[in-house]
Amino acid sequence: MAPVEATAYERSARRGRGLAHWLVLATLLVASIETTAAQTTPSPEYQVKAVFLYHFTEFVTWPRSAFPEAQAPLVIGVLGDDPFGAYLDETVRGEMVNGHPLVVRRYDRVEQVEGCQILFVSPSEAGRLGRILSRTSDRPLLTVGDTDDFARDGGIIQFVTVRGKIRLRINVDAARSAGLTISSKLLGLADIVTTSRS
Amino acid sequence: MKVPAMLHFLVGYLGTSARRFWLAAFVFLVLGLPGLANGALAQAQDTLPPLGQLKTMSIEELMNIEVTSVSKRPEKLSEAASAIQVITQEEIHRSGATNLAEALQLAPNLQVAQLNSYAWIISTRGFNALFSNKLLAMIDGRTIYTPLFAGVSWDVQNVLLDDIDRIEVVSGPGGSLWGANAVNGVINVVTKHSADTQGLYASAAVGSFLQDQAAVRYGGHVGEKLSYRIFAQRFDRNNTVVPGGEDNSDDWHLTQGGFRMDWLPSGADAVMLEGNLYGGSEETSPRPSAMNGGYVLGSWSRTFSPASAMQVQLYVDHTWRRDVPSTLTDELTTYDLDFQHRFPVGGRNNILWGAGYRLMDSDVRNSTEFVGFVPMSRTMHLFSGFVQDEIALVQDQLKLTVGTKLEHNVFSGFEVQPSTRLAWTPDGRQTIWSAVSRAIRAPSRIDVDYHIPAHPVEPGTPNVNGGPNFGSENVVAYEAGYRVQPTSLLALSLAVFYNRYDDLYSVEALPGTMTYEIQNGSEGETWGAELSGSYQPARWWRLHGGYVYLGKDLRSKPGHAFDTSILGNDPQHQFLLQSMMDLPGNFQFDVVSHYGGVRPVPHIPGYFTLDARLAWQFKGLELSVVGRNLTKKRHLEYGALIPRNVYGKVTWRL
Repeated sequence: MAPVEATAYERSARRGRGLAHWLVLATLLVASIETTAAQTTPSPEYQVKAVFLYHFTEFVTWPRSAFPEAQAPLVIGVLGDDPFGAYLDETVRGEMVNGHPLVVRRYDRVEQVEGCQILFVSPSEAGRLGRILSRTSDRPLLTVGDTDDFARDGGIIQFVTVRGKIRLRINVDAARSAGLTISSKLLGLADIVTTSRS
Repeated sequence: MKVPAMLHFLVGYLGTSARRFWLAAFVFLVLGLPGLANGALAQAQDTLPPLGQLKTMSIEELMNIEVTSVSKRPEKLSEAASAIQVITQEEIHRSGATNLAEALQLAPNLQVAQLNSYAWIISTRGFNALFSNKLLAMIDGRTIYTPLFAGVSWDVQNVLLDDIDRIEVVSGPGGSLWGANAVNGVINVVTKHSADTQGLYASAAVGSFLQDQAAVRYGGHVGEKLSYRIFAQRFDRNNTVVPGGEDNSDDWHLTQGGFRMDWLPSGADAVMLEGNLYGGSEETSPRPSAMNGGYVLGSWSRTFSPASAMQVQLYVDHTWRRDVPSTLTDELTTYDLDFQHRFPVGGRNNILWGAGYRLMDSDVRNSTEFVGFVPMSRTMHLFSGFVQDEIALVQDQLKLTVGTKLEHNVFSGFEVQPSTRLAWTPDGRQTIWSAVSRAIRAPSRIDVDYHIPAHPVEPGTPNVNGGPNFGSENVVAYEAGYRVQPTSLLALSLAVFYNRYDDLYSVEALPGTMTYEIQNGSEGETWGAELSGSYQPARWWRLHGGYVYLGKDLRSKPGHAFDTSILGNDPQHQFLLQSMMDLPGNFQFDVVSHYGGVRPVPHIPGYFTLDARLAWQFKGLELSVVGRNLTKKRHLEYGALIPRNVYGKVTWRL
């Protein structure tokens, strides 16, 4: 928003003129439509999922070996077509968790995934899921996905959309073999599954 | 009896029976259709908070955000091409409303007036009268009307308020989808999925006007796919006061229990079964009146693809009421079967069609010969069908919806109700829409079978001979509107309308006789504007409200003579503001203020009301103190003086 407009808004607010306050505000907001609409925001579903990814950093403990050094960034990776756009970057911008700055990286192939602590496997990778998870399962990497049976197939956290709302499904076997500790609070809110042995 | 006295008596009598018996508004037809549901379901998408706020939410809160529409055909509220308003669970909870009628006061586009302890008059776009009958009301797709009166007995439409997910209120004809009697609007109460009411909920309230209210609910599940809830509630409400200052002797008591079960056998199917039973009494003169009833409803929906789905719904509903003041006992059993299906054709057309059948067994007992229904019993069949095509003239921008409903009822035969609707959505944040619709209010039993006295009379004796030739009332409605949602914090909606009514209700003597008949002798126009909005000035503060202006000119048709003021005692202006504040220390402070304008005939002064709620939450426990109608010790809305109501409430969730 242009600073001039903001000042006008503040001035009217200070004077306490109810109607003027509203009008200026409405004008401002209408004026901001274009800028807001111009940015490509992901669907509400992926906006919320981006925020979930950010929150997972608070509920998961990685072994020390997951980080090359104490101040190394905590990397949230997106493998495959990126459904978040700039929204995920904006979500983690300037955030720190236990001394690790959060950063986002994008990968086309699982072979590129290195030095990453959370990996979101895009729905575009559904056909390659088995191969991807077999390469990541023994590393201290929190795999997150939303394709069908992601958790039962060995992914750690699956987003499940139930009647429009996002639920979590957590594979505790997979978390254990990755050496990750997931807080009981998060586990308490999730459906717990184990790897299917089919 | 002289003719004017006779008429006066009739009007007074009808008024009394209405007041005592079948209050307020509305009628009916086919169920809550996806178009309406979509509009509101997708509201969640529109109100997705900004990133900064999302990040501060807990995991639980994030899990509660609705990110995709259940119907998988997302239509944002900002894109809805009608004057739809949505009352959310949060708004109901924070308003301190104690029953469904009080919750409906939160819709800026509804006129809700409390008549006495247990009766409310509810309408939209005018015709606010003891007879209000131009509105369709539904709970979970079940029409809650009595064909006896084309209106709703709001006192027996009880819902555990915490079970409500949202209430959608459309002002204006429901379009071709909702059929007869959705003349001036539609109310659709949608309850929560049983997976969203898991665990224990218990609440108890004690107060002055609301003497006591208690509710308990338990929700559980069997495996991942089947969830359920059961509930019971009870309340006792005090008397209102007659203008002279005496007790109105209208205290009201009701007990209710029910259940809902949801089963998701596969990703594409959803099955729902719900039901409930109630019984209650109201103090009336010379003895109390009593009522009871219940229903069972089942539905099955299957989604074939994001754009294609079908639903089948069946319900059986039984109501019984012994109404002492009107000397009538009414028993009604309704069987209703509905089907609807939607699918795309080519890239531009979305077809929605449906069909329904309803059987109503209406059995009235007149306890005197002086007045009553002739015949006392009727079995009524209603067949209905509709088809609508939504055409994308310009993809994602310009949408034309054309459709019609065809129905056959026992009184007026075949009825056609077409509508056309154009919506332009230039950028996803604003919509400009317009519509032209024809809608009818089909005859009800009181229009046709009402007799004074209920036995044949000698020629020359004054009498009312029902309405043997009464046909449907009808309207052609012209509407336009603008919705804008500049940011997720602000939403505004403006709707304007001009309605031309014909064949409206009248009661007139046949020429040269003392025999009165109910006829279609009135006509007229109404016009108005509805402005509403919601705004979040700060993270902890939300506002919503609206203003309505209504103008009207109703008159007798040439060759007819009837006092049309009886058709509605409407205020020209009304105003609503609700404020919800989250304060530090887990406190909430909430206020609702209403202004109801002056009503002309009979004259009722304008009034302001103020409701306030202070609540404190700690984990699953909530303590609240609510004051309703705080501005005056008593105030008049339509009939009796409504006393101030202060109550305290404890709610516990586990």
